[in-house]
Amino acid sequence: MAEPRYIKALRKKFKESPEERYTTFYTLGGWAQDPRKREFKEISDKIAKQRNIPMYNPTFGCGGVGLGQRTYMPYLISGTETYGMPEDIHVVNNAAMHQLWDDIRRTVIVGLDAAHTILSKRLGKEVTPETINHYLEVLNHALPGGATIQEHMAEIHPALTEDCYCKVFTGDDELADRIDKRFLIDINKLFPKDQAEKLKKAIGKKTYQALRMPTIVGHLMDGGTMARWAAMQISMAMIPSYKLMAGEAAVGEFAFAAKHAELIEMGTLTPWRRARGPNEPGGLPFGYLADMIQYNRVHPEDPCKYALEALACGAVIYDQYWFGSYMSGGVGFTQYASCVYTDDILDDYVYWGLDYVKKKFGGLAKVKPSMDVIKDVATAITDYSLSSYEKYPANMETHFGGSQRAAVAAAASGIGGSLATGVAQAGMGCWYLSQLIHKEWMGRLGFYGYDAQDHAGPCNLWSWRSDEGLPIELRGVNYPNYAMNVGHTSAYTGIVAAAHAARGDAWCVNPLIKVAFADPSLKFDWTYPRECFAKGVLREYMPAGRRDVIVPPR
Amino acid sequence: MSTYVRQFYPGTSQSSINRRKYLDPKTKYEKLRSVSDEDLVRVLGHRKPGEAYKTVHPPLEEMKEPEDPIRKIVEPTPGTKAGDRIRFVQFTDSVYFSPMAPYVRTWAMYSRYRGLDPGVLSGRNPIEGRERDIEKVAKELVETEVFDPARTALRGYTVHGHALRLDENGLMFDAVRRYTFNKAKGVVEYVKDQLGVPLDKPVEIGVPLPENELKKRTVQFRIDHIKFVDDKPLLNYIHRNFELRCRSGFNPEGVKGI
Repeated sequence: MAEPRYIKALRKKFKESPEERYTTFYTLGGWAQDPRKREFKEISDKIAKQRNIPMYNPTFGCGGVGLGQRTYMPYLISGTETYGMPEDIHVVNNAAMHQLWDDIRRTVIVGLDAAHTILSKRLGKEVTPETINHYLEVLNHALPGGATIQEHMAEIHPALTEDCYCKVFTGDDELADRIDKRFLIDINKLFPKDQAEKLKKAIGKKTYQALRMPTIVGHLMDGGTMARWAAMQISMAMIPSYKLMAGEAAVGEFAFAAKHAELIEMGTLTPWRRARGPNEPGGLPFGYLADMIQYNRVHPEDPCKYALEALACGAVIYDQYWFGSYMSGGVGFTQYASCVYTDDILDDYVYWGLDYVKKKFGGLAKVKPSMDVIKDVATAITDYSLSSYEKYPANMETHFGGSQRAAVAAAASGIGGSLATGVAQAGMGCWYLSQLIHKEWMGRLGFYGYDAQDHAGPCNLWSWRSDEGLPIELRGVNYPNYAMNVGHTSAYTGIVAAAHAARGDAWCVNPLIKVAFADPSLKFDWTYPRECFAKGVLREYMPAGRRDVIVPPR
Repeated sequence: MSTYVRQFYPGTSQSSINRRKYLDPKTKYEKLRSVSDEDLVRVLGHRKPGEAYKTVHPPLEEMKEPEDPIRKIVEPTPGTKAGDRIRFVQFTDSVYFSPMAPYVRTWAMYSRYRGLDPGVLSGRNPIEGRERDIEKVAKELVETEVFDPARTALRGYTVHGHALRLDENGLMFDAVRRYTFNKAKGVVEYVKDQLGVPLDKPVEIGVPLPENELKKRTVQFRIDHIKFVDDKPLLNYIHRNFELRCRSGFNPEGVKGI
C-alpha cells in the first residue's frame, strides 16, 4: 500500500519517525524555534522603543513559562511544495489571503439589459455592439475614479486603483464576437466546450457586467459600498456614452437598475446582530464561493482537487476572516482553519474516499442518496481518517486540537458522500454522521463538544422549508445553526463543490458568478488558490491596494 | 406499563463496558492512590490548606428566600448551603489510554453527582461548582481508577497536550510543566497548581499505571487497542441515532415505533 500523502510533511515537521509515540519536550529553544517569532520580537522591540509603549513579547505565553515548549512545526501548504510557519498563514500576515477576500468584496455583477431597454424603448437611442464598446471604455475610465461630464473634478490616482475595471459576458455568441476583447470575459475560450454550452444556455441572450471596484475602496469603506460605487459610475458613464441629459429621469433608472433591479451582490446583508452590509463574508453562500473557484473549469477531470481548493478558500474566508476576525479578532483561529489546507492530510483522506467511492459504486454520482449510502461512506472514511491519526502519532500531534481532527475527518466524509451521490445534502449527511461517530470513538470532539454545531445538524439537514433549513448551496455562515461553526463551513463549501463536480456540472448554484470569476484579469488566481497562499507564505505575492504612490518611501 | 430500567451506554467491547461502569452510580470507582485533602487543595490552587472558604452569599439558612416549590424538592449541595464561591477543577486526558475521556467524565458528572457544571472540549474537561463540592468530587476523581498520574492531568489553562506524543517518561506534555516524574520514587509530582503557580513543596500524585493496566481501564477506542468499528452494537446505535435525527428533526410524527 502506498504511503499516505501526508507522510512527507510529517517527516519535515518532526525529527522522529511519524510512527514514534515518544519525543522530548521543554528543551527545544522556546519561542525562538520559530523564525517568524524571532523576526516579530526584533521588530516589536524597535517599535516599542520608538513609541515608548510595550508591544509583542512571546515570553508572556504559557503562564510566564514562555511559548515553545514543544516542537514548533512548519506547515506545508497542501498541493504545493511550500512550507511556512503558522504566522505565515494568519490572514493578516498573508497578502494572497488579503486578495482572495478583496476580489470577492470588490465584485458586483450588474445586468445591462434593463439599461439598454430604457435607452432603446424609452429614449429611442440606438444600442449596438459599437455603443456598448464605447460605453465600456468610458466606464473603465469612470469606475476607477475618473470624471466624465463635470469639469474641474478631483479624480483618483490611477496607481491606487490599478485593479479597478469592468468587463462583460453574455450567452449570445454573436454579440460576444463584436465586443472589444479587452472588455469581454469569453466563455467559449475560458471554459471546456460542454461547460461553455451549459453556461451560455443558462445566461441566454442577456448581457452582464462584472465590475471590480478598487481594492483600496474595500479597505477604506466596506462591501456595502461596492454596489453604490458601481451604480454611480455606471450612471456617469451612460450619460456621455449615449449623450443623455445629466439628471434626466432615465439616469435615475440606470442607478435603480444598477443598485437593485439588475444587481447581483456576492453576499447578502446580515441581520443586525451580525451588523454587516452586503458583500461581506457573513452573507456569502457556500454555493457562491464554490462557484468562484475555477479549478474545475481548467481541470474538470479532478473533482477532488476542485473541492480541496474551494475548501481552502472557505477556510480563509469563513473561518479566518469571518469567525476568526470579523466575529472575534486578535490571534484568531488560524490553525483551527488551516488544518484543511496544510500538510496534505485532508488531501490524503479525500483521495482515499474517492478510491473507495469508485470501487464501491463504480464511479462518481452513480448512486442515489439514501441512509444506507450515507452510513456506508461516512463510516468508511471516518474510520480511515481517525485511524490515520492513531497509526501516526506525528499526524495526531499535527492536528493537536479535536476541532481540527473533527473538521478534517468530517470534511473527507462529506466530500466522499458528495462524490458518491452528486448531491451536496447527502454529502452533508456524511459530515454529520462522521461527527457523531468521532464523538463516540474518541469520547471527545471539537469546541465545547460541538453540541450545537453537529448534534443538531442532522435535524435540519433535510428540510428546505423556510426557517427550518435550506439547500446547502444557499446556506452560509449566517444560517442560524452555523453562526458559531468555526472549522465547519470551509468543508461545507468543499462538499458543495464536490457534489457538482461529480455530476459534471458547469456551476454549483449561479452561472453568472462562475463566469465572472473566470476572468483572468482578476488579481487573485481563482484556479489555484493554494498556490497563491503559498506565494503569500513566501512573501512573493503582490496584492492590489497599495498606497506607496501617496506616502513617503520607507 | 413496563418499569423503566435506566440505561447508560451501548456496545459490547471492553471500552463500552468501562463507559457503562463509570456512568453507573451504583458502581464504586476503585481507589488506586491516596492524596491528602491538604495536598489536593494545594494543587487545585483556589485556597490555602486550612483557609476558610470564601463565600458569595450568607448560608442559605440565614437567608430569607422567596417561596419556591423547587427549593422544597431539591436539596442544596453542602457548598451551596454554605454560600461558597464557584470554583473549578479541570482535567486533560491523553489520547494514549487515559482512563477517561472528556465526554465520558461529563456524562459521569451528570449521572453520579449534583450541583456541578461540566463542559466538554477535546483537550480539557472543566467542571465548575461550589468550592467544597468541587474539592469533594476532585478527590474522588483523582484517587481512583478514572485518573492516571501520567496520562490524566489537572490544568486551569494552557491545556494543550492531549494529542501530543508522550515524553521520555511516558508523561503527557504540559507546556507549563505543572508536574514532573520523580525517577527515584517512580511517582508523578505536582510542582505547580492548576494555574501554574509554583507550590511550596511538591505534591505526590501517584505512580503511573502500566500500559496494560491502562488498556483494561480506559474508555478509549484506538486502532492499537479496541477498534471502534468492531463494536457493532455501538456503531449501529450511532447509525440509528443519526437516522432518527434526520427523519424526525422537523417531522417527529413521521417516525413510528421508536
